[in-house]
Amino acid sequence: MREQALLDEVLALLDDPSHRDHPLHGALERLYRHHLEQRERLERLISIADGFQQSAQYDLHDARHQLEHQRRRQRKLSRIADRFQELLHERNQALEDVSGQDPLTGLANRRRLHQHLEEMTDDASQPFSVAMIDIDHFKVINDRYGHAAGDRALIALAKTLTASLRAGDLCGRWGGEEFLLALPTTRLDQAECLVARLGDRLRQLDLALDASGEPTTVTASIGIAEHQPDEDYRDTIHRADQALLTAKREGRDRSRRAG
Amino acid sequence: MSHDLNLPGSPSTPAIQSDWQSGRLAMQGDSYPENSYELFSQVIDWVEAFLERESRSLTLVLELVYLNTSSVKAMMDIFDLLEDTYQGGREVAVEWRYDPRNERIAELAEEFKEDCSYPFAILPLEVGS
Repeated sequence: MREQALLDEVLALLDDPSHRDHPLHGALERLYRHHLEQRERLERLISIADGFQQSAQYDLHDARHQLEHQRRRQRKLSRIADRFQELLHERNQALEDVSGQDPLTGLANRRRLHQHLEEMTDDASQPFSVAMIDIDHFKVINDRYGHAAGDRALIALAKTLTASLRAGDLCGRWGGEEFLLALPTTRLDQAECLVARLGDRLRQLDLALDASGEPTTVTASIGIAEHQPDEDYRDTIHRADQALLTAKREGRDRSRRAG
Repeated sequence: MSHDLNLPGSPSTPAIQSDWQSGRLAMQGDSYPENSYELFSQVIDWVEAFLERESRSLTLVLELVYLNTSSVKAMMDIFDLLEDTYQGGREVAVEWRYDPRNERIAELAEEFKEDCSYPFAILPLEVGS
């Protein structure tokens, strides 16, 4: 404003007719015009610079906005992808479970039993025993009541077996009417007690196959073997199998220890 | 229209059918393709072409199960495209159908739905169908 007052004053002096012939009049007038031009240029310059600054601000704001958007998307993408990953993992687990399961009884199948026994063998610090169980004269059930009834009987037997086991024990279906028990941290004597109890339970089970209401019962022959240090678990199973044959030969409905 | 998609699907790619006439795009199955760009660019191209040339509404009918990361990204791109279209005042909709035995898929569909303001229904399939 002081500048404008000065300019007004200069203009008034220039316009005054009494000053027209003053020796400085021409120079002052040129200086005055030059100043006005310079002022105008300065204002244009400032306005352009302001414009640039403002658009830079807008760009920055936009870029920040986009970055935030991208970040949100990225987070969402990772979150969803991770959850799909979990889903896949669960699916694999379910497949793994099914592949180790006997479809009829839901017990471990031979594949799972092998896996399990191999793991037990690897843990050399713990003794373990196995018991091979064969249901006596099972063929008679199939012949008399049919295969569907035979299947129902196997399911009932499997349930009874599992219900009689301890937490770490594993019962699997070895084949037909043969079951294999894997008994961790169990010596032969303990295994024999456990198996005797199991034999009783099986004997008491009514398979309820007879239409007349007469109870249908079965017995089992069982061979037990304790895993020996450095022994291949397959040999332990083989010894249990041999003991089972002895139990059969000696009249069934009993358990025998492997030598 | 002759440029409809009809891809049979495979264990790793979803089956895809588009119907220009009725404004529907359907996808079923798992998606972990070797080249997800190639697969989904066809889908995105179809969606873009439909949205550009037609003014009718578009409905996506999805029965997707497992999606790998790049498929998740492609689906997010498609959903964003629908969102922009919807913001532009046009009708779009998504129906995501899932097997009720697998509730996790419904939860995942919910995650996708989060930023979508258009109709996005998550429906259990009839059991046995």
